[in-house]
Amino acid sequence: MINLKDIRETARDMLAKGEARAVIGYRRGSRGMLAEPAFLTKPEEADELVWDPTCFHNLSLYLVHDRKHLAHAGKNSGGAPVAIIAKGCDARSIVVLMQEHYFKREDVYIIGVSCEGTGVVDERKLATHLNGVQASNAAFDGDDFVFTTAEGEKRIPAREVMADRCLECRSPYPKEHNLVFGEDKTGRQLEAPFAALDRFEAQGAGERWENWARHFDRCIRCFACRSVCPMCYCDECVVDSITFPVTTETTADEKASRIRWIERSAARSENITYLMTRAMHLAGRCTDCGECDRACPVNVPIRLLNNKMEKEAREQFGFEPGASIGGPSLVASFLDKDPGEFIR
Amino acid sequence: MSDQQPYEPKIVAFLCKWCSSAGSDLAGVSRIQYPANATPITVPCTGAVSPMYIMSAFNKGADGVLVSGCHIGDCHYLEGNYLARRKMYLIMKLLEFIGVEQNRFRMSWVSAAEGAKFAQVITDFVGDLRPLGPQDKLKRAEIK
Ligand code: SF4
Ligand code: SF4
Ligand code: SF4
Ligand code: FES
Repeated sequence: MINLKDIRETARDMLAKGEARAVIGYRRGSRGMLAEPAFLTKPEEADELVWDPTCFHNLSLYLVHDRKHLAHAGKNSGGAPVAIIAKGCDARSIVVLMQEHYFKREDVYIIGVSCEGTGVVDERKLATHLNGVQASNAAFDGDDFVFTTAEGEKRIPAREVMADRCLECRSPYPKEHNLVFGEDKTGRQLEAPFAALDRFEAQGAGERWENWARHFDRCIRCFACRSVCPMCYCDECVVDSITFPVTTETTADEKASRIRWIERSAARSENITYLMTRAMHLAGRCTDCGECDRACPVNVPIRLLNNKMEKEAREQFGFEPGASIGGPSLVASFLDKDPGEFIR
Repeated sequence: MSDQQPYEPKIVAFLCKWCSSAGSDLAGVSRIQYPANATPITVPCTGAVSPMYIMSAFNKGADGVLVSGCHIGDCHYLEGNYLARRKMYLIMKLLEFIGVEQNRFRMSWVSAAEGAKFAQVITDFVGDLRPLGPQDKLKRAEIK
């Protein structure tokens, strides 16, 4: 069981001693019981930090933002690292960022938090479960989540309202860390890895298409899935012509000769090209933090696409995203025994 | 034109410059007869084929997409085709996953000396695509 006091003290201490430039963590938000990302720079702010089942954000996104802000301002980090609260999946995405040389190990101080026997809540599952009753607070308690509601305290077995990715999580513990709170419960088996994917894949090709056609139709190309993903850090996104930089020096010729791979209209065909390309670009990099899926306003099950890549990578290439900083990248490496029977 | 014309599958074929493209030339100069359904696009190496090219070809109306290059061990850039083998495997699985017919995407190794094999690959592909009919799942609506 993690003691919030320990997290707060660590943050306060690091900020007071100048051991961290900032602490990225969670605070109570303005939207009901939900936590929200918090950026602390003063020791006295440490008491705002919270740790509960609504801390679902993958805060490593803000490490990326930090680097971008520094680069745009032409500054370097000035020595002290940024400290960040990271769950298992979040820590794995920090590893991927370091693997890709986005920043160095010494630039970040990882305050790991173990999910122990549970994980984070799935808001949609919880809403169904609470049946309209609003919760104002959520807390971990062993294998349960405890919610404070107008009708009193509600104790729910965590597995009934947990995010699918947490149920299927193979490693609910941040292996890469400077400091870690909570017990390592790696190996706990709440649901088989890829269970949701396997359920979907059990359908025939025709049914899978029927499903995806509807999902792709719904996408409004708001790019929330891209914005929320720490791995989608490119300044210029190949699928989105609006991100191509245009300055006063850009000639009409240059603008005209840029390849517009996808039209900006949110038509099914364009949405497919976007989402499939994104899934390919995340293959071997996505650590299943679930943020894209959660952020989508129209419930496109983006996680299934990412999971499909993760499963193939694991089964065919023995590849685990975010396993080690010095490890190879999935698509920039190969093995002699890679499958090739499909090639004529 | 009458709309009674039989359906002719359109294939976009990404051929590496050093092997498969030369192989297709050889098929031509050797006067080997094979269906004229493939539009070749020469690429430096299969390793240079981004999955986005494949999605884009389907998006712009291809009924089938072929990626073809040098045999394993023969890539002009030594490892390009090893990298391609992985990437193409992944995009193939993703296409299958969303329910696109397996036979719409294909990969082959055709050397510069294998004109006959190139002709066979195209002949087989056209034969497998014909029963599937036009590809409209991934195609932009305005494209005829
Ligand atoms: S996916 Fe795993 S590490 Fe991430 S929040 Fe869920 S249980 Fe924790
Ligand atoms: S999948 Fe969802 S989050 Fe992503 S662009 Fe489409 S609507 Fe937005
Ligand atoms: S693709 Fe989605 S689940 Fe994967 S790292 Fe990005 S936001 Fe997280
Ligand atoms: S040059 Fe032919 S596959 Fe690399």
